[in-house]
Amino acid sequence: MSDANTPSGTSDTQATPTTQQTHFGFKQVDKAQKASLVANVFDSVAAKYDVMNDLMSLGIHRLWKRYALDCSGVRAGHKVLDIAGGTGDLTAKFSRMVGPGGSVTLADINLSMLKVGRDKLRDKGLVGNIDYVQADAESLPFSDNSFDVVTMAFGLRNVTEKQNALNSIYRVLKPGGRLLVLEFSKPASQHLSKIYDIYSFHILPRMGQIVANDEESYRYLAESIRMHPDQETLKGMFEQAGFEQCDYTNLTGGIVALHRGYKF
Amino acid sequence: MPGSALLSAIAETAINRVLALDEDSQARLLPLNGKRLTLYIDQFPHALTLVFSQRVDVLTELLEHSELVAQLDENSCCIRTSLEVLPKLTQTSQLTQLIRQGELHLDGDLHIAQHTAALFGQLDIDPQEWLSHYTGDVIAHQAGQTLAGFKTQIANALARSRAGISNALTEEKPIGVGKLAVMHFNDEVDALRDDVQRFEARLNALNNEQ
Repeated sequence: MSDANTPSGTSDTQATPTTQQTHFGFKQVDKAQKASLVANVFDSVAAKYDVMNDLMSLGIHRLWKRYALDCSGVRAGHKVLDIAGGTGDLTAKFSRMVGPGGSVTLADINLSMLKVGRDKLRDKGLVGNIDYVQADAESLPFSDNSFDVVTMAFGLRNVTEKQNALNSIYRVLKPGGRLLVLEFSKPASQHLSKIYDIYSFHILPRMGQIVANDEESYRYLAESIRMHPDQETLKGMFEQAGFEQCDYTNLTGGIVALHRGYKF
Repeated sequence: MPGSALLSAIAETAINRVLALDEDSQARLLPLNGKRLTLYIDQFPHALTLVFSQRVDVLTELLEHSELVAQLDENSCCIRTSLEVLPKLTQTSQLTQLIRQGELHLDGDLHIAQHTAALFGQLDIDPQEWLSHYTGDVIAHQAGQTLAGFKTQIANALARSRAGISNALTEEKPIGVGKLAVMHFNDEVDALRDDVQRFEARLNALNNEQ
């Protein structure tokens, strides 16, 4: 879903033929180029982002996010970082959950998305405990051990060096803090996978064309999902970054997975 | 997809819709701002946490009761009860009594539970006001009158039924025939029928002889 698109950085070197290149969907591009290409995608979809999310996921993305919230363990007074927070769906809830004594930082690499999110949250009356930061997930501009909880919903697959992003998140988490990554993943069943492929590559780009007048961005969305590491690979990357007690939960048959890891 | 997320979403939407129908609910939400109440119901596998602000957010609580109680702070309250007791929680005055009777286990700030009880117990919803936003005042008023008429008729029917049952139990039952008497009467009727059949058979036999 376009939700799936919140940007935060750029590429993955694992599937690339040379270390100077990375994938942008199914295409190979220079690493330096990917960030701006992803930025273009999000500049293009920002205005219709929420509408497309609801349309493409039939509203199920709200339940995926709600499950992530339930697993977050956020309490009053906590400091929460919502990376690739996009239009602020998670931030809005976190803002109320942490209360006036806590704080939520909505970070996104894309200024257009950040502006849409800020306007939306302010229109909801959510002010006072939310900070907005334009930041690259690979090099977070926060001091060590700053946050109780870090979340990243549908943003990691747009990051160029995912391992760098996980390392960076590990650094800013407080000891005892937890990271939650909600991201598209690999469907567990072959049948579901085939249906999902038809939907992603044939229906989704057309919906993008009709609703947002942007077929390419939504084709990129489908392609970037296929290039994203599967559940076990991402869990391994969590562990490599230093996270402990890492696990994941498949949602909607593995179309989406919620990964969790703790810093002790 | 965990069903608990769907259920909490439905609960959250329902609660906020209902609260929006009572304009005084915002005033009752004020003392709860920044507080949270977790509700463990014995019959349900997951607890629900209500997070209060200008609205109510509903979360599925994944911690066990004892784990959550250990983490409670001054802005939190945890209630453990059963489904049958749940309706009584809207009456603030009954909370202490329910705790004393052991039907309600409360940890944390009692005031949060009392304010929550008041929030829902003092709901004053005017359906006509709500309906008028969609249909206009006239139709809403007429619908309200019709509904009120139905309500009165149903109330009257229920009252008549109650009176009938009460009358049957207190007036008619004591002077009615007992079960044993009815059984004895039935036995006597059976015996009489047998006698008549024997008599009829005897008559037929005598007629045939002549």
